[in-house]
Amino acid sequence: MEFSFTKEQLMFKKEVIRFAKKEIVPRIQEFELKKQFDFESFKKLGDFGILGLHFPEEYGGGGADVITTVLAGEALGEAGVDGGLTLAYGAHTFLCADTIFSHGTEEQRKKYIPKLASGEWIGCMGLTEPNAGSDVASMTSTAEKKGDKYILNGSKIFITNGPIADVSVVYAKTDMEKKHAGISAFIVEKGTPGFSAGTPLIKMGVCTSQTSELYLSNCEIPAENLLGKEGDGFNMSLQTVEWDRSALLAPFVGAATFMLNRCVAYAKDREQFGRKIGQFQAIKRKIANIRIFGEAARNLVYRIAWCKDQKKPLNHLEAAVAKLFVGDWSMGPSNDAVVLHGGYGYCHEYDMERIFRDSRLAPIGGGTSDIQRMIISKLI
Amino acid sequence: MNYEISEKEFTLNIDLHQRLTLLAKEGDLEVADTKQVRANLEKTLAVLADTPYLKFGLEAVPGFNGLASLMVAVEVVADISPSICLSVETSTRVFGKILTQWGTPAIKEKMLPPLLAGKLIGALALSEESMNVENAPLTAGGAVNGDTAEISGKKQYVINAPVADWFAVAGVAEGKSAVFLVKAGTPGLTVGPRKNTPGFQGAAIADITLENCAIPADQILMIPDGQNMLQTLRMWENQVLIGASLGLMKTAFDGARNHAKTHRSGGKPVIAFQEVGFKLSDMLTLFQTSQLFAFRTAWTTENVPADAESLTLCAKVFCSESAEQVAGEAMRILGGAGYETGNPVERASRCVKFLQIAGTSTEIARVKIGDAALGLRN
Repeated sequence: MEFSFTKEQLMFKKEVIRFAKKEIVPRIQEFELKKQFDFESFKKLGDFGILGLHFPEEYGGGGADVITTVLAGEALGEAGVDGGLTLAYGAHTFLCADTIFSHGTEEQRKKYIPKLASGEWIGCMGLTEPNAGSDVASMTSTAEKKGDKYILNGSKIFITNGPIADVSVVYAKTDMEKKHAGISAFIVEKGTPGFSAGTPLIKMGVCTSQTSELYLSNCEIPAENLLGKEGDGFNMSLQTVEWDRSALLAPFVGAATFMLNRCVAYAKDREQFGRKIGQFQAIKRKIANIRIFGEAARNLVYRIAWCKDQKKPLNHLEAAVAKLFVGDWSMGPSNDAVVLHGGYGYCHEYDMERIFRDSRLAPIGGGTSDIQRMIISKLI
Repeated sequence: MNYEISEKEFTLNIDLHQRLTLLAKEGDLEVADTKQVRANLEKTLAVLADTPYLKFGLEAVPGFNGLASLMVAVEVVADISPSICLSVETSTRVFGKILTQWGTPAIKEKMLPPLLAGKLIGALALSEESMNVENAPLTAGGAVNGDTAEISGKKQYVINAPVADWFAVAGVAEGKSAVFLVKAGTPGLTVGPRKNTPGFQGAAIADITLENCAIPADQILMIPDGQNMLQTLRMWENQVLIGASLGLMKTAFDGARNHAKTHRSGGKPVIAFQEVGFKLSDMLTLFQTSQLFAFRTAWTTENVPADAESLTLCAKVFCSESAEQVAGEAMRILGGAGYETGNPVERASRCVKFLQIAGTSTEIARVKIGDAALGLRN
């Protein structure tokens, strides 16, 4: 076992933190309060190379390994970038672009990846349905082949980037008789007749990300927009789990460091009863809890990333453990961070309440904590 | 970066498991009178000396990764016998590291070979009644007078004290931090009655008293300026306890999982009930997270020493508290069976209590972690 990073990886992480603090963080408050997506910051992520970091250079990517990609996500969280933007980045890069890259034809790769990697286009993934969340096989959206076209019908819900996406990877059943094996994946572009997004959902946290329903009403798409083969869709969605349990969790790990740094700064500055509050053991305890959570969580995320770099098949048990821990065990530290700041922690400008709200998504999105427990209990 | 247990480490684990399981079948390693504790330790050390295990952290072993390899292996030892783990690790790793880090060439030449051959049992005498979160100076110590030194002081909760061949007594000499190496039986050294503890009943723990105990001056190991003896010794102790946490979690988790798969209720194995299955999932999550935390801490100790102290404290808090949670849940899954004396889960539930108290207690550890983050302490 060996736990070091390369110099290049560490330098890149520092650079991402520097970039994010300068270019993105100063804009967060404004867009958070307006609950609007910050297109300019998203484009800056593309210009910096983060959106396409792990894609080969010939597709406009940075050719980075998975660990470096995870460190970039962690760096965004550590810099204080909001969960809304990092979620939008995750859905765009890993759930949409990577699915096209991993399963698409060369034509599809060339058409979509450069524009997604640069941020010129925004991507999303439509999998969840009102009555098919974790139980994917229950989906009712259909894709019927007619000649050289597919006709898509159905609806999707909780789709990150749904209202703003230029390109969507949409899952639908090409064979209703089959369960998982009947699911296929399609590329659907914005403006396709019969394809529309609902109004953004009003959410508790990750407010700058835009989340909505997607509607498919006799939506005709060219047959070549099928990704892979008919029936491959479920396995494609499973492959995103590796990214979900590494790169998408990484900003939460970074956020723990951000919380720690902010709590330390506040505790060193704030005085009560004639001394800095950092001198009280109750404050030290909260700071310690945040540090301990961050140190514990990062190993789980790095492990998934390292295994992916080594081309090892995903260990579903380890993936579920990572998701469960980061999801459920992040509750305490984010609560501690709010309480440590007292009344200020409850106010927007101190960032802690935002992180508290953003972190509530961790045990829900990408498979709830209870689903992770179901997976683990079956595998043991 | 490499998150994989190597083939050599894996093979060693299998080997250790087989050898120690055989030993455990010969006699109970967990309940023993003091004479038997000594005999158990001698037998175990002899077995371990036939493997690379005792050398980890003390000298390089080709094909292995030092303390990281140790942390992988120590889980096996603690799973089979937490008491043996505590005794062996205190002797080999804590006492042994004192020799390798601060020993003179002559001391190393004299004491390391028998230690690595499993023929010497060491103990660390560190804790004093007055110790607290502020690291109050140690009171044990003495003056050097020519070729000898006379030391006095009281030490509490000394693991291995009733069975040790040698004691490393932490104290002060000439106003500076020092470790006094005291041979068992030296006039002036008194070992108190063995402590009666709810857990780790196969280990021998006692207080010791030193009254004008004369030792040769060359058995005083002076700590170089700039090194914090107390902090370093606590860190080594804490790493032993982290390793023990892993073994106890393994015992508790395996016991609960096996019970949940075989015990039936309402016509099905109880693991089929979400309350039980989900408990096991949380337990495994804590166990795996602790493993990775422990492995990285061990690796960091040897490769990024500046980060070792605070990371060890974080890992110690996390692993020891996780062990308590895992053992508690395991007992609830086993129900009455988990409450029966002799059941490994019951034993683990008693032992885990010690992990949070021993070394740097989790309460004090949190203060120190907070202090370090706030820049109030190194």
